Amino acid sequence: MDRASHLSVVVDLSPNHWYLSSTRTQQNARPLSLKSFLSQLLVFLNSHIACKDENTLAVFGALPGRSVMLHSSTNESSGNPFEMADADTYRPFKILDAEVMQTIARHVETLGPSDIKKPVELVGALSKSLCYINRITTASSTQSNEQTAALDPRILILSVSPDQSSSYIPIMNSIFAAQKLKVTIDICKVYGSESVFLQQAAHLTGGSYLHLERADALLQYLTMSFLPPPSIRQLLSVPTQDKIDFRAACFCHKRIVDIGFVCSVCLSIFCQPVPVCSTCRTKFPIKTLQRLNAARPTVATPATTPTVQTALSLPSSNSIKGTNVNGSQSTVQNGSR
Amino acid sequence: MPPRRLEPGYHDGESDSDVDIFDDFGASAKSKGKGKGKAIDRGKKEKGKGTSKEQPYAWEASYTRSWDTVQEDEAGSLQGAVEDLIARGRRRRLLAPAAAIRRTIIRHLILLLDLSSAMMDRDMRPTRFDLMLQYAREFVTEWFDQNPLGQIGVVGMRAGIGERLGEMTGNPQEVLKAISERHKLEPTGEPSLQNAIDMARSSTSHLPTHSSREILIIFGSLTTCDPGNIHETLAECVKDRIRISVVALAAEMKICRELCDKTGGQFGVALNEGHFKDLLFELIPPPAQRATAPNARGGATAPADLMMMGFPTRLPDTSPPSLCVCHSKLKSEGFLCPRCGAKVCDVPTDCDICGLMIVSSPHLARSYHHLFPVKTYQAVTDLDDTPNPSSSCHGCARPFKNAPQQMAGSSGEGMSPLGRYRCPDCHNDFCPECDVFVHDVVHCCPGCGK
Ligand SMILES: [Zn+2]
Ligand SMILES: [Zn+2]
Ligand SMILES: [Zn+2]
Ligand SMILES: [Zn+2]
Ligand SMILES: [Zn+2]
Ligand SMILES: [Zn+2]
Repeated sequence: MDRASHLSVVVDLSPNHWYLSSTRTQQNARPLSLKSFLSQLLVFLNSHIACKDENTLAVFGALPGRSVMLHSSTNESSGNPFEMADADTYRPFKILDAEVMQTIARHVETLGPSDIKKPVELVGALSKSLCYINRITTASSTQSNEQTAALDPRILILSVSPDQSSSYIPIMNSIFAAQKLKVTIDICKVYGSESVFLQQAAHLTGGSYLHLERADALLQYLTMSFLPPPSIRQLLSVPTQDKIDFRAACFCHKRIVDIGFVCSVCLSIFCQPVPVCSTCRTKFPIKTLQRLNAARPTVATPATTPTVQTALSLPSSNSIKGTNVNGSQSTVQNGSR
Repeated sequence: MPPRRLEPGYHDGESDSDVDIFDDFGASAKSKGKGKGKAIDRGKKEKGKGTSKEQPYAWEASYTRSWDTVQEDEAGSLQGAVEDLIARGRRRRLLAPAAAIRRTIIRHLILLLDLSSAMMDRDMRPTRFDLMLQYAREFVTEWFDQNPLGQIGVVGMRAGIGERLGEMTGNPQEVLKAISERHKLEPTGEPSLQNAIDMARSSTSHLPTHSSREILIIFGSLTTCDPGNIHETLAECVKDRIRISVVALAAEMKICRELCDKTGGQFGVALNEGHFKDLLFELIPPPAQRATAPNARGGATAPADLMMMGFPTRLPDTSPPSLCVCHSKLKSEGFLCPRCGAKVCDVPTDCDICGLMIVSSPHLARSYHHLFPVKTYQAVTDLDDTPNPSSSCHGCARPFKNAPQQMAGSSGEGMSPLGRYRCPDCHNDFCPECDVFVHDVVHCCPGCGK
């Protein structure tokens, strides 16, 4: 249990959803502002590097239309502009805090009005964190240094925005890459509806998925569930997912479906029987179409399927399931594939 | 001990191996004789190709030490050798077709293992049999990783009959179990291709039309003792659109090549251990379907179809126990059919109540990178056209070298002297390691998320 561990944190910095998160509404009785979120996050990041001297950290931000690396403990930022002597603060904490906050501020300032409408680049931030983990794990294995060889890498995603159906394939590809690298992906859903894709990410990589019930207690959730590395978590009782949704998004409308029609050649998913596959241009036999149309469930529109879901799920999540559909449909217009 | 390569001069000396061949199996023995002739030209032809094939046959190779194949440069580092490897990987990718090609994703494979006494030959270490089992296990694991919707069944051939070792299943563990118990698979007697293929064919007869049917034969013998005319079996396989591929460990037999050619499969003779593995692993990626025209050779292109599939909800271990519909067992975990709400134990499967095909979406998603590959990055040769070159890799934030670097050896082609590779869509620069990692593992560009 004495090994160093690497933590990559992906922070969802969607301005729109942080605004929603900080406003008090009927559903959002305990608002959490971005400012308070960041200060709690920094405490968590500090405690990670304080746990063990060899622990490494990388922080990535997902902004609308771009993804940026906010901080990494291996990139000794040369000629650190944030360096101010402060007798009261441990120097690595100071560097980390200043670097994260200033990079966020710098990038948020350059966001134009057209950028705001774009979805956040969660995929970019996730695949960057994988590239980074690939870099440090291959570097440590060639150094054959025992301490760095056992990195036990993990990724923590702090998400506030809903699933973008257009990013389904890249997210799944990233999840399989994480599986290959033996990276655990933890999810902390700070605000908003349950994320189907991120649930699958946690499930497939053996991480935990946590939907905050009280967003103002963020720091407590973070330190209790996500601070211990996966090797220690086997001894602890970390929250597990009660139910995982294995639904997929259809390729034609990017709607989440639970019964889909799949092209046997390219595995494109459609929400209704189509005569020609839009991905690979395969024509399907008329007979199949007639048979499938006859066999379709009487109410096959995806909007009604969550009623099946809610009947089986816990009562507390009923309201969330309802918003899930609306949330995922509002992102339909973006994405071309 | 049958020799595997037959040089003209060597031909006479092999009569000792023919002693154990039963000449009363007319057709097969004749085809064997012809096969030898072919094997000669093939052996010569192959010698000129790719690197793994340039090595001599296993028994005539001198002992090579793995550290001899890696060379240090003047500075004593291995950088050059590593870059060579990377460069080779890049070139291979450049040669691959960029456009989305049609592939057979839902595959059904029968693994036909030769368990005849010829497999006890020691020309591959430790024995052909042990090596085959070891590679077969690796093959199965990798195959299920790349073909998550596929199913594999195992048939052995020994003592003149085909023997079903494992039922057709989509669970890798069950397949591995079928080939894990070495003592149950002890090689003995003569193989029978016809009996084994007939058995394999019968276990694929119930499959739906849109799935592929494939037989992969690992064949170490030079004979086959068949009860009837094997060409009739071959005709049946062509009719059933079964694709037969053969990896031969001895020499080429005419009937084996004919089986592959007529059914659109691949045929290869393994030269040595490494080549054996290469031949086997070449068959793992889902086969590309050529064009939309039906396969001219009467091959195994399955017709396209639209399938209705359900994506289930997984119940956690902590949910109240209920009966599953597949085994009627009381248990907590399971998957709920989205149409009828029945609980099944494992996916992919067909719902026992309403017949809906239930798959989890990750199963489908695992195959998408075959269909939507990341665009090949272009090597950046100079930065004159770039107004603001980034100082570090867009993926891993590793800083770029400033001065162009002399490329080691012959690897210059297709490589960037600056160590920069640019995505054609988002125009971000990546380091060589990320270039390989993005294309081989992540399958998603960190810059544009495609
Ligand atoms: Zn649709
Ligand atoms: Zn298609
Ligand atoms: Zn069951
Ligand atoms: Zn059902
Ligand atoms: Zn890189
Ligand atoms: Zn790109």
